[in-house]
Amino acid sequence: MFFKLAVNNVRRSVRDYAIYFLTLTFGVCLFYVFNSIESQQAMAALSANQRQIIEMLTSAIGYVSIFISVILGFLVVYSNGFLMKRRKKELGIYMLLGMDKGKISRILIAETLIIGIFSLGAGLAVGIFASQGLSAITAGIFEMDMSSFQFTFSLSALIKTLLYFGIIFVVVMIFNTISISKYRLITLLQASRKSQTFRIRNIWVSVSAFAVSIACLAAAYYLILNKGWTSSEIFLLCIILGCTGTLLFFFSLSGILLRVIRANKKLYYRGLNMFIFRQISSKINTAFVSMGMICLMLFVTMVTFSVGTSIAHAASQAVKSAAPYDLSLTKFALSSDEQYTAAEKPVTEAFALQDLLDLYAKEYLEISFYNNMIDMSDMPGILPDIPPAAQTSPMRAVSLSDYNRALESQGKAPVHLGTDEFAVNCNSPAVEPYYHMDRGQTITFNGKEYRLGIKQVLNSTLDTSYALMDTGTVILPDAAFEGLVPNVRTLNVMYRQSDSEYAQQATGAFQNRIAQQAPEGAGQISMEEDMLVRMYDKEEVYSSNVGTSVIFSFIAIYIGLIFLITCVAILALQQLAEASDNTVRYGLLRKLGTDQAMVNRSLFMQILIYFAAPLLPAVAHTIVGLQFSSMLVQIFGSGTSIVTMSLITAGIMLVVYGGYFLATYFGCKGMIRPKK
Amino acid sequence: MEPILNVSNLEKYYGGRGMVTKAVDNISFSVNKGEFVGIMGASGSGKTTLLNCIATIDTVTSGHIYVDGKNITAMKAKQLAAFRREQLGFVFQDFNLLDTLTAYENIALALTIIKAPVKLIDSKVKYVAKALGILDILKKYPYQLSGGQKQRVACARAIITQPSLILADEPTGALDSKSARMLLESFETLNRDLCATILMVTHDAFTASYCHRILFIKDGKLFNELVRGNSSRKAFFDNIISVVTLLGGDNSNVF
Repeated sequence: MFFKLAVNNVRRSVRDYAIYFLTLTFGVCLFYVFNSIESQQAMAALSANQRQIIEMLTSAIGYVSIFISVILGFLVVYSNGFLMKRRKKELGIYMLLGMDKGKISRILIAETLIIGIFSLGAGLAVGIFASQGLSAITAGIFEMDMSSFQFTFSLSALIKTLLYFGIIFVVVMIFNTISISKYRLITLLQASRKSQTFRIRNIWVSVSAFAVSIACLAAAYYLILNKGWTSSEIFLLCIILGCTGTLLFFFSLSGILLRVIRANKKLYYRGLNMFIFRQISSKINTAFVSMGMICLMLFVTMVTFSVGTSIAHAASQAVKSAAPYDLSLTKFALSSDEQYTAAEKPVTEAFALQDLLDLYAKEYLEISFYNNMIDMSDMPGILPDIPPAAQTSPMRAVSLSDYNRALESQGKAPVHLGTDEFAVNCNSPAVEPYYHMDRGQTITFNGKEYRLGIKQVLNSTLDTSYALMDTGTVILPDAAFEGLVPNVRTLNVMYRQSDSEYAQQATGAFQNRIAQQAPEGAGQISMEEDMLVRMYDKEEVYSSNVGTSVIFSFIAIYIGLIFLITCVAILALQQLAEASDNTVRYGLLRKLGTDQAMVNRSLFMQILIYFAAPLLPAVAHTIVGLQFSSMLVQIFGSGTSIVTMSLITAGIMLVVYGGYFLATYFGCKGMIRPKK
Repeated sequence: MEPILNVSNLEKYYGGRGMVTKAVDNISFSVNKGEFVGIMGASGSGKTTLLNCIATIDTVTSGHIYVDGKNITAMKAKQLAAFRREQLGFVFQDFNLLDTLTAYENIALALTIIKAPVKLIDSKVKYVAKALGILDILKKYPYQLSGGQKQRVACARAIITQPSLILADEPTGALDSKSARMLLESFETLNRDLCATILMVTHDAFTASYCHRILFIKDGKLFNELVRGNSSRKAFFDNIISVVTLLGGDNSNVF
């Protein structure tokens, strides 16, 4: 009997709250898909390096999933509260008929169970199929052959999903039971009749809150854009100012908005505008905290999406130009170490690598660099607005013939310089915009003056490294280096064969030789600050970049999608829960002679403005946030990718946001339709 | 006097297949311009159904209703909406004010729906509010008002568009006796000073005693008609009570 009642209730609420059910299903689906990455087919064919990446990714997703389940748990509890609110009268009638609270609780528990089982089932079913698609994407990223398709299923992800959502539903049941025990019969029965009371804030409170919020936001925008990178305290301050500003903005928004619009009598007293604005302002007034939260979550969503995928994109793009050689060995001269003070011996000689080069190398070349001869402050003409912290960054110097040999080995045309001319090479997308090559510049090098010979920045990469990190290399005619000893020498090697096994073998051989030749404790191949020898191989650079790419994009998409559906689901549910109150209001408007088109337009505008209210400030935040973080993206590679990824993000936002908006509109329209 | 409302052979049936309830059973009457007419009857007599049919909120089974010469039973949904907002004013038992709007805005809403020029709105609202004695509460929200004040705001909303006909459904039903008296005096003001034609449904004899003419309905049929003429309200009230007793009279046969 109770179960039948529960089933009927669910059937009805599924019709009214399809959005809640779909969101739940979507959440379960995403949860399963991302937690099943480890056992996807693509993973079986990974190399050791790649497997390590996936292990990192899996543990990262594990941690993120805890956070995600808290967000989803909040969503479920929150939406359930809305469902309960709508059903107060129904619960009141159960109580009036003599059903005790324990039994009502049991009905609700049964309902939660049914909804839980259905959404879990549907979500898992969709998730299992969707994970096959994700598997194909992963395979694409790792450039793997997926011709032998295999259907995979992750038991661990299944168990994890069931466990996490099980906990969420248990929490919901506890919440329901608690709220039932607090209800009083009279308030339940009169719930629908109680007219809302509006606490209209004093206009001066609104105005001052609004002023403070604008000041906070302006300060946060200014600080983050101008000083955001300087210290973590300032960054934190910006976050706090931003959050405070956003909350105050929504706190004061309805009062200000209403005041402004009421001042425009032509707009306010036209058709149902008065009604529309009043409805929205009362809704924002009561729900300003959740509006503020939604706005901030949307901001996080958009930034995560754009930055995460941009970094991923930049990293995978940059790798091709960052690693032109299979192996780059760089020997540094350090003043602290007598033996290597002057790097007069070439790398090949210093480490006795000739036999290995004969064995493995198809082609090799050595380039000499002269560090610490010149720094960025020597070029005020072409670097007029370099940040103070970077002014003393050293620039490398290289001879024209070495530079042209490097270009030749990469199949590029050589450059030409006059005897008193210099050129600049820079491949770091983050630094390149600081060069203004259209301006003149003369420098003094080794006692002689040179003027700028090539009026543009050269973008070549002279050795293999993790990212495009050449912030500035000065190219000078060979004669300029007369009498100087190079302090950095780089050996670039192209292997005879290009497959990864051969490369690993060759790199291993070079690594061993250097370890043998280097003096005890000094010649270690390390990434430490005061290294003597640095070694980068293409394989490692590739897999590390792909790793960065995969981890950033997967986590970004995971968090982004969950945040996004949470936000829009809450917005949608807030509007749908209103719909029962609205039924009465629209019924009255209809009696007063408002035709259906006007009612529909009013409903549309109400939901549109309500959906847009948190989105617009979030977009403003995002634009600033992206300005700030584009620096971060540029470190990883090409600077244009953030624009592309922002557009893709905008596209995804539009589809999901628009979809939920339309679903809400049609849902509400169905609810307020006069019953025959 | 030309009739503003003409109801002829109106029937409204509910149910079907042998279980027909005749809520309104062949009723004909007319209301002249400037009249204040009451419809009385016990619960379930069909008076609210009749009012809903005239209000075009409900459809009729057969018969015709003419308002200002136009046959409203033959109108389409869009025409009906336009008809309601232009020709009718409503006062409901439970006030039906929008809780998000102030009293002023609730009254102005009726004007904005008919797309009245903005510059006329303020003066019209103030004029009507003054007539009904609610000038000082215009800035308040419904939850800040008493029942009587809410109902007078509803009256102002009903009259402000100068409709051909104001329909009131148990307007005093949710009011205490003092508020009810004030509201009925407001109705008299509307009727006398603002030339409103009012059709009011009630089951309360005191409320009905403010009308010029009362139609009594029983079981969906027109049962009797009382005209106040020049008699005092007290005398009219006594007349009403006697008809009500008569109406209830054959109930005694049931027991």
